[in-house]
Amino acid sequence: MLLADQVSVTLDNRPVLKRLDCQFQAGEFWGIIGQNGAGKSTLLQCLAGLLDPDVGQVLVDDENIHQLDPLSRAQKVAYLMQEQEPSLAFTVYQAVEMGRYPWPDNPDNRQRITEQTLRDCRIEALQNRSILQLSGGERRKVEIATCLAQNSDYLLLDEPFNHLDVVYQRFLVKKLQTLSHDKTVVMVCHDIDVVAKYCSHVLMLLGDDCYLSGDSATMLNKANLEELFDESQ
Amino acid sequence: MQIRQLLIKPWVWWLLLLLTLLISVSVGSVSPPIDQLFNPDSITYSIVWQLRLPRAFNAMLVGGSLALAGLLIQNLVKNPLADPYLLGVSGGAASFQLLVIMLGLSLSAEVLFLVGFAGSLLATLVVLKLSYHGRIKPNKVTLNGVVMAFGFAAIISFMLSLADGQQIRSMMFWLMGDLSFAQPSWLMVLLLALCYFLLRRQHTALDLLARGELFARKSGVHAERLNLMVFIMTALLTSMAVAQAGTIGFVGLIIPHIVRLLVGYQHRHLLSVTMLAGALFLLVADTLARTVLSPIQLPVGIFTALVGVPVFLMLSRKI
Repeated sequence: MLLADQVSVTLDNRPVLKRLDCQFQAGEFWGIIGQNGAGKSTLLQCLAGLLDPDVGQVLVDDENIHQLDPLSRAQKVAYLMQEQEPSLAFTVYQAVEMGRYPWPDNPDNRQRITEQTLRDCRIEALQNRSILQLSGGERRKVEIATCLAQNSDYLLLDEPFNHLDVVYQRFLVKKLQTLSHDKTVVMVCHDIDVVAKYCSHVLMLLGDDCYLSGDSATMLNKANLEELFDESQ
Repeated sequence: MQIRQLLIKPWVWWLLLLLTLLISVSVGSVSPPIDQLFNPDSITYSIVWQLRLPRAFNAMLVGGSLALAGLLIQNLVKNPLADPYLLGVSGGAASFQLLVIMLGLSLSAEVLFLVGFAGSLLATLVVLKLSYHGRIKPNKVTLNGVVMAFGFAAIISFMLSLADGQQIRSMMFWLMGDLSFAQPSWLMVLLLALCYFLLRRQHTALDLLARGELFARKSGVHAERLNLMVFIMTALLTSMAVAQAGTIGFVGLIIPHIVRLLVGYQHRHLLSVTMLAGALFLLVADTLARTVLSPIQLPVGIFTALVGVPVFLMLSRKI
């Protein structure tokens, strides 16, 4: 179980999150929705243990995530950044293999898992290309594959569908849904239709420190959606 | 592809280094007759064993250290134009050493080495202090380092303008890099080997760090600790190199770039090949420096720049 307990974050003197509580269990597929600047990415970074909340704590399987050493943290939690900074010209294979860093694989095993992940994500044809020569969508696929190679119990994805074509979006969301049967998948997503159709649970950041969470069928009602899309915010 | 398979093998570089070493000790203002090589009373013996060989070893050590330090600092600050002197190391060492030369205090190699080492460590500590807020902020390292370098440049110019003619010549020589002065130091061999083996164990973590600090952290790298280790190693390697041989430019800047183009971006290969290529490059440059206008010896810094600048400009179109 991943648990946000009274999480408050202030960035540059601006309070971004205030006393947020939420529980994410195995078998659940969560969508986090909210307007720009509502704190979705900040929350995801806290859950991933990459940002220390000013108040409150994040517990992963009953342990404070900030007291875990980085390797065991990465074994439990995989995190997809919203936008990966451009970097050096590693090949696609090398990039996906980096997802195996937290695990003490032997070389054969590492190769087998990396190749399997490349196939699972339908990017085996790209594997010898440099990541700098890929299109935005192809690069996104590589970043997602890197997270999946990490094979951790909790998958936290910040706008995974950015730059992806419609075909791959549908493929990915179904894949995430399948993965969520025995893992916990949490994604930030702006597409309410996708969240309504595929996610089992939803967390709404409504502004003014108002957070609503629960199963998506009941939460995505007219009153809540009107509040979510309130233009006065 | 064939060439790349060959170039990622360290033994290829060791072989090149050995061949270059043989050529290097046999050329110069005197060509040693081979039969005199092991006769301790001959001039050949002392030229080869006491002058050229130590100097060649010195070049290889300094070149390897600077190239490795360059690879590290470029990874730390994520800036392709970074070189090891970014940490204020060279300015610190040079200012202290020039002061000693100017005051005419003592010119023994050991003392000059220690003075330079102290100066560079001091400068690095200032940069570290200014760039450290709970953890190292790489972009602050760049900014503080560049500003510190300007400060030291002013101090050096000030001392040069006060120095008399005889002093200026030896000071200029020092500023452009000079390998003839010091004996190769075992401390440096030890440090280089230690850094290499510690880094070798972290080669995957260094790959991840090269893709960004957040990426490294989310993938399970203790990025704060690795950054600090990289910073300290860069500072120590560069300080030693500068204290030993003055500020030799371009090795730390261009060798990592050239090696990346040759063997790719994985530190599994980069670490060893960068170190060996740096050693090779400086050995060649120094051999040129003492033979081109023989018997006049030129500062080696001239040749690293003369070779380094065009190569870098050609490659920079590809980077």
